[in-house]
Formats: sequence, structure tokens, C-alpha cells
Amino acid sequence: MSTLINISKWLADNIFGEPAVLIGIIALIGLLVQKKSKSEVIAGTIKTILGFLIIQAGSGVVVDAMGSFGPMWQHVFGIEAQPIQAMGTDNFIATYGGTVTLMMTFGFLINVILARFTPFKYIYLTGHMMFWLCLVVTGIFVEAFGPDVSQTKILLIGSVLIGIYWTLQPAYVQKYMKKITGKDNIALGHTVSFAAWSGAKLGSLIGNPEKSCENIKVPKAFDFLKDSNVVIVTVMGLFYCIGAVLAGSEYMGNFTGGKNYIVYGLLQGLKFGGGIAVILYGVKLLISQIVPAFKGFATKVVPNAKPALDCPVVYPFAPTATIIGFAAAFVTTIIMMVVMGLTAFYVFVPPMIALFFHAAAAGVFGNATGGVRGTIIAGVITGLVISLGQAIFVKYITPTTVPDFILWGGDTDMFIFGSILKFILGIFS
Amino acid sequence: MKIMTVCGLGQGTSLLLKMNVEEVINSLGIDAEVDNTDLSSVALENPDLILAGEYHLDSLKDADVPVIGISDFMDVEEIKSKLKKYFENK
Repeated sequence: MSTLINISKWLADNIFGEPAVLIGIIALIGLLVQKKSKSEVIAGTIKTILGFLIIQAGSGVVVDAMGSFGPMWQHVFGIEAQPIQAMGTDNFIATYGGTVTLMMTFGFLINVILARFTPFKYIYLTGHMMFWLCLVVTGIFVEAFGPDVSQTKILLIGSVLIGIYWTLQPAYVQKYMKKITGKDNIALGHTVSFAAWSGAKLGSLIGNPEKSCENIKVPKAFDFLKDSNVVIVTVMGLFYCIGAVLAGSEYMGNFTGGKNYIVYGLLQGLKFGGGIAVILYGVKLLISQIVPAFKGFATKVVPNAKPALDCPVVYPFAPTATIIGFAAAFVTTIIMMVVMGLTAFYVFVPPMIALFFHAAAAGVFGNATGGVRGTIIAGVITGLVISLGQAIFVKYITPTTVPDFILWGGDTDMFIFGSILKFILGIFS
Repeated sequence: MKIMTVCGLGQGTSLLLKMNVEEVINSLGIDAEVDNTDLSSVALENPDLILAGEYHLDSLKDADVPVIGISDFMDVEEIKSKLKKYFENK
């Protein structure tokens, strides 16, 4: 008996309690099931583990680069700083990364089962969004029940909820996907769904699809928006520099370590962009072995399913709407940033990836039902949800777990459905 | 040879394209390594061939290797016919 206990304790400490090993095992199983060659199995497993460690390292860089951003802008707006001890995404992943990855796997299995036995034949294949959503859901559980919550409990409830979301989310926007693509062979699998759906809904009420964005010519100058690394660094560098100038060199001296405060601002912007580039590379390594395994499995179990895909699949159907949707969202967030700052409510950090990819996709949905007006409405909704959502999440929903991730990656569905989840969990905790 | 598939962030659509390109490559019996990445880092990977969405072709016009634009990432037949054409004219 004691041997059994020793074995299970050893397994708990070294396998299930060690996210990097656990993730390696999941990748290994996936690669073996796909009958890959020996060298591919070994390389794939190692790459997946490396990806996980790289995400942690990149998150550390982002936490570091963001250190002075909040205090600086709080000083500018005269907001009383509220010191919050957050774990930070790097430490959070080190502790709960195993739960996050298992939730992704079990959530996907539930998605496949539901697709097999219900009329909702959608298989969610957007791997990076699966990872981030499971991260945020795990964070919400830890916030609701405290850091001592049983990870098995998070896993069981979380996987079921996530599996249901991954099945129903493509379903409820499919009506508009058909309108956009003109076919019924692919679906949208992305956390933009709330903004996309409400943009299309409102667009159909107040807009006119005949007045499509695609009749407008957008200057080539906007092409640089497609390169997200450049956009992130430019915007964050700019906001850091403006903040530094407004806060003044004396205050900034607390952070700059003797450097000129404007040069410091630029460097922090670059560091932030660098950290995000590292995280994205890590996520790419992590999911690029797992998603093909998921896809292979799903195709066997539910052969007639529709794949629910990443949001850029809709961009080619209305490229101009992507730019107009983004512009509307960006302007909205800048207004919200000033309003929330002046009312001393919250210092907003513009999350360029979420803003661009979400508002662009929502714009295409709005355009399909409401033309230019629909596109702008969809962009404004995206901007409102992202700015208010970020404030509410960082202040109230995930303040002690992953607020740094929320600053650059928090997005529409996470904010809408995550707030509902936190509210419901609050009743039981 | 090394083929890179590309999208804006190097996360979602380029991975889907990669899986479909791998399927096509295998069916054509071509020996190639396929990987996915984002627009800014594709040049660092030294690929022999790049596949990307048609809406990214402008951003890739300075690439010093051939770039094939794909209109529908999930259309294996489109990828197949374009890759076939490329290898026949090579």
C-alpha cells in the first residue's frame, strides 16, 4: 500500500505537478497517435516543451517591460496607485500550466463528443486561442476559490464549460459566416465571436450592406498594420514616450536608472514588443504539434464536421472593412483611455494584437450586414468591450493571477463570458 | 527543400495552411519540410518557397524566394494545383 502511495506521490510531484513534463507527454501521445517517424516524435516532443518554457520566459520580459507603465500613467492622471501583488503570467504558468494544458485537451475531447452526438458539427481548431482561453479560465477559478483550490476541480468543471463554448461559439455566428463566405464549409473559431455577432446584428438594424466598405479605397500607408511586431512596438513606444513626457523627468527618474526618460520610454516599448514576440514564438511551438493531432483525431471521429478557424480566414472577403473596423476600435479605445484616466478609474494599456485582429474580424461581420455603418459599429463595440473589459478584469476579475496577460491579450469573449463565469463562481465560492 | 507558410501573427491561419500544405506535399511525393511563421520573421528562416494568403502578397513582394498566394487556406485542391504548377515550371 505504501508503495502505491509513494508511486502516486512521485507521479504527482514529477509529472502532473510539473507542467513542462505533462505538456511533453500530451505532445508525445499526439505524435505517436499520428504515427509520425521516430525523429519527428522526438523533435516534436522537445519543441513542445521548449515552447512552453519560452512562453514563460517571454511573459517574464513583458511583466518587466510593463513595470513602470501603470505607475507612470497613474502619476499623469493623478490616480492613487493601488499596489496589487499579482503572480504574473510567468509564475502562474509555472504553477497551473498543467491544468491549463489538460483543460485544453479535455475541453477539445468534449468538443469532439458534442460534435459527434449533437447537431452542432463544429470542431474548434484555433490552437493559440484555446491555450489563452484555458489560461484565463484557470485564472478566474483561482481568483474565485483562492490559490489552494483543487486543480482537479478546476479541470473537471473548466473542461466541460470550455468544451461547450468551443462547440456553441462557432454555431451561433455561423449564420453570418455563411453570409460572408457565401459557403457553409468553414466556421469561425475565435474569441471575437461576441463582437462579431453583435456587430453583424446591429449592422443589420441600422446599416445597409449595399454601401459596402469594399467600394472605398484605403491608402497603402495602412499596409504596415499587417506586421504586428512593428505595430506593437510603435504604439507601446509612443505611449511610453508620451507618458514619460507628461509624468516629467523627475518622476521618471524613479525608473530610468540614469537614462534619459524619453530614450527609456522607447526602450521599454521595444522590450514589450520583444517579450510578446518571444511569447508568440513559444505558443507557436507549443500548439504546432498539438493542433494537427487534434485535427487528425476529430476528422476520424466526426468526419462531416466543419472546422472552426482563426479569424483571419474572413479578412480576404472584405479587406477594407478590416482596416475601417480597426480604425473605429482604435479611436474608441483612445477616447476610453482618456475618459477612464480623467475619471481616475483605470489606466488603459492598448492591446494592439487583440485590437487589430478582433476589430478587423468584427469589421468584416458588420460590413456583411450593414456596410460601412455596420463596420464602424462593430469596431466601436470591439473597442468598448476591450477597454472596459480590461479595466474590469485587471481591477476585479483577475487582479492577483494573470493581469499582465490581460493587458496585451485579453479580448472580447474572455471579457464578456469570463465576467459571467466569475459572477457564477462567486455564488458558489 | 524548406517551405514556409505565413500569416500576420504566425499562429492560427499559417498553421492551418501548413497542415494542408503538408498533406499536399505528401500526396505529390515531394520531400520538403514545412513550417509556419509570421510576416516579419519569414525572411530569417531562409525558406526555398513561401505560401501565404493573397492579402499578404504585397507585404511579401520584396522576398528573394518565390511566393505563392493562396485564396482559400482550406481548399486543398487549390494548394495542390498551385504547387503542382510551381514544381512543373521549376
